[in-house]
Amino acid sequence: MTVLKRCTALVGVLAALTGPALAEDISVTVWAGGSNDSDSYRIDAIAMAADILEREAAILGEELNITVEGRRDFSGWEEFKQSVTLASEAGTAPTIVVTSHLDIAPWSQAGYIVPVEDYVDLDAWPLTDVYPNLMEIASFDGIQWGIPQDAESRPFFFWRETLEKLGYSEDDIDALPEKVAAGEYTLADMLADATRAVEEGIVEEGYGFYPRNNNGPDYAQFYQSFGGELLDPESGKLIFDRQAMTDFYQFFVDAAEAGVVRRTHLGMDGNQWYREVANGKAAFWHGGTWHYGRYETEGNDDFWGTIQFSLIPQGNENGRPNTITHPLVYLVMDQEDDRIEEVAAQLVAIATEPRINTLHAIQSNHLAVAQSQADIDLYRSSRWASEATEVLLGSANSQPNHLNYGAFSEAMYRGLEAAWTGSQSVEEAVAEVEAQLTTTIGDALIVR
Amino acid sequence: MSSRWLGVGFLAPALVAVLFFFLLPVVMTVMFSFTNMTTATGITGGEYLLSKSRLRQLEAEGVSEETVERLESAGYQITEQGLAALAEEFGEDRADELREDYMGESFTARRDLERVLRNLNDDPIRRTRDRKAAADLFAVTILDERFPTEPAFRDALTESGIDPADHDALVKTAYTGWTWTTDNFKLLFELPATLRYAMNTAIYVVFTLAFNVGFGLFLAISTFYLPQHLANTFRTIWFLPRILPPVMYVLMWKWFTWDTGFISTVLSVFGVTPINWMTESALNAWTVVVLINGFVGASLGMILFSSAIKAIPLSMLYASEVDGAYRWDQIRYIILPQLRWPVLFMTSYQTLSLLTSFEYILLSTEGGPGGSTTTWALAAYTTALRNYGGNLEYGFGAAYALVLVIIGIILSVLYLRFFNFKELVAKPRIEQ
Repeated sequence: MTVLKRCTALVGVLAALTGPALAEDISVTVWAGGSNDSDSYRIDAIAMAADILEREAAILGEELNITVEGRRDFSGWEEFKQSVTLASEAGTAPTIVVTSHLDIAPWSQAGYIVPVEDYVDLDAWPLTDVYPNLMEIASFDGIQWGIPQDAESRPFFFWRETLEKLGYSEDDIDALPEKVAAGEYTLADMLADATRAVEEGIVEEGYGFYPRNNNGPDYAQFYQSFGGELLDPESGKLIFDRQAMTDFYQFFVDAAEAGVVRRTHLGMDGNQWYREVANGKAAFWHGGTWHYGRYETEGNDDFWGTIQFSLIPQGNENGRPNTITHPLVYLVMDQEDDRIEEVAAQLVAIATEPRINTLHAIQSNHLAVAQSQADIDLYRSSRWASEATEVLLGSANSQPNHLNYGAFSEAMYRGLEAAWTGSQSVEEAVAEVEAQLTTTIGDALIVR
Repeated sequence: MSSRWLGVGFLAPALVAVLFFFLLPVVMTVMFSFTNMTTATGITGGEYLLSKSRLRQLEAEGVSEETVERLESAGYQITEQGLAALAEEFGEDRADELREDYMGESFTARRDLERVLRNLNDDPIRRTRDRKAAADLFAVTILDERFPTEPAFRDALTESGIDPADHDALVKTAYTGWTWTTDNFKLLFELPATLRYAMNTAIYVVFTLAFNVGFGLFLAISTFYLPQHLANTFRTIWFLPRILPPVMYVLMWKWFTWDTGFISTVLSVFGVTPINWMTESALNAWTVVVLINGFVGASLGMILFSSAIKAIPLSMLYASEVDGAYRWDQIRYIILPQLRWPVLFMTSYQTLSLLTSFEYILLSTEGGPGGSTTTWALAAYTTALRNYGGNLEYGFGAAYALVLVIIGIILSVLYLRFFNFKELVAKPRIEQ
């Protein structure tokens, strides 16, 4: 009896093994940081890619079942980054994450992520179609760790009506982006215009220039406007440029002293900030390309009739007009089973195909990652996406992928805040940031 | 079972809680603070990895130029050994073609070799996965390869023919995990901001504590003399700051103090320019921070002091009235002396909790303006857990935290000695 049972069981097992032989179940989890409803395609694109990959496998006679689960309900970047790192330490990391490219340096050293280049062909479409500078941003130490998920850039904005009241003709305003790009309209000109706008009562005091209310890549743009360089490509070290830092801080201090921006501006409520800039309370401000959609939800449905945009103007003769792009990237997390990493990397590559990525770009007001997206009707039909790509993306650079860039950026912002609020003089603030950086990351820093 | 074991059994949950929620975090803080642990080093340990940026550091570490050169240029080489392996897995024809065209050549990047394999004339390797596997057969480089253990890494170095004199330095540079160090404490002393954080903490603790205890006492005594239902109503109102979720509570302060808020709106009627009353100056910020925390702490004081006052036999108060005492005399000579222990308890408890609390500061001023309300605990938090650029400094943050732990333990011991803990937990004298 027992023998019979055993035989039956054996037959059963053999039948199961030899049946539809290659059924393979793979479960993929995608965690997306800094994502709200309009960013749903960060996850949905992977699900669409899974469908395609399954069909491709089926044609080859393999049964591949991929289940994709997504998560983007993080309260903010802090929670997201802590969740990802702790999950990695605990061995329960998600398969794919969508995060800032700045995470590549620390996460690659920690072994949390694996290079996508181990699994995908970088010399084949669609990856050959991705803008080379964006691919570069998703690499570190000569290795392609990730694939850009979206692109954006951080333009300078002008309220047209205010400019008109300051005496600009419509043609002048239309020509502004070119003048900015040519270095003919500088931050000093902007400050003069903003001061006049406040003095003449066109805007209220503190609303001449309305910068970002908290730390972010945006402030590095002003450092660059005054001649600062973030990274020395030769040595791979970060650069602290004393003169550029001083000029950059001084510009904000001057603006505060002229009553153009409030001394207490930093730390203000983000929602209030959006509401005010969207409705013309401020003369000049800067933000991100995704603000386009936000302005509409804040009640401004005539962006083109009310707002002009350009690169961040040059600060002085040392600097240049510029803009920083801070793309999010798809990264594949280290898994016990390499096959899951492989499938994940392939999904990421498929999700980068122009049509799929365009869904995200247009839904979330981001810019394309690949050149041929410009030829897709959906993309072309968005005036914002097309013009922003044209005016901004060509001149965009990024913050460096460097282990110590986080410390650099935090210190730079804290110094700016200290000078801006008047709790330190510009010289004191610059000296303290320099002292702090040379003490903490001296080996990886060049002081000019 | 003896009653002693029964006692231990009953205490067990508390002991476990103390172990896990107090002792373990303290032990871990001490451990972390003597490491250079960051996001990049990971928490659970490291591996051995030579990357391009690490190669750049090698010469500074005293590794010979020849070794650096050798490591850098190794790459992928077309050798007989590799070709034999290729022939076995991917066929003789492909191996032959590669031998003919590329024998002895080397490629610094795998990608270049992959391109060759992709473009073989006769029969290119078509699948990406196969191409990568085929290219790996020719790898002689150990760059960008992770070795899980030191012996494995040393073996690889030996195999690559690296001068053994350089092995130790290479092992040291290649290690990706954290190491023990006392540098964090040196840094604490060297950084210009440290002293400011310490001063800020002192200001924060002293003023908030004074407000907590003073206002708590005021509320307890003033409500004591009110009719019962009125007193309860007032106590409930003053309890609100504590029971409101911190985010809501601070949001209400923002609505109250910001330039678009209540104060500015009311004052603008009288022609005062709206300003941000919370962050206009360091003085403003401190006032708001002390009040926000003070009202939360005062409600606890109020409850404790109120119950202590209620424990005073009413007969004593009646007797004092017969003797002609005014309210003030009652407070001065009967109530306050009886409140000595609750006040001491509140003082010590609040000092310790204020030293480490930063959540209301983070939510309101974020340590500003210009870092003027950044306390030690907030600095520890931002260092260890908050960094836009991604590399969190767990070790250095723990060093900040450890200083607080030490101060806290010293203060606790002092409080216990000065306030004579045994007396503090003795039966109330009133009931004796």
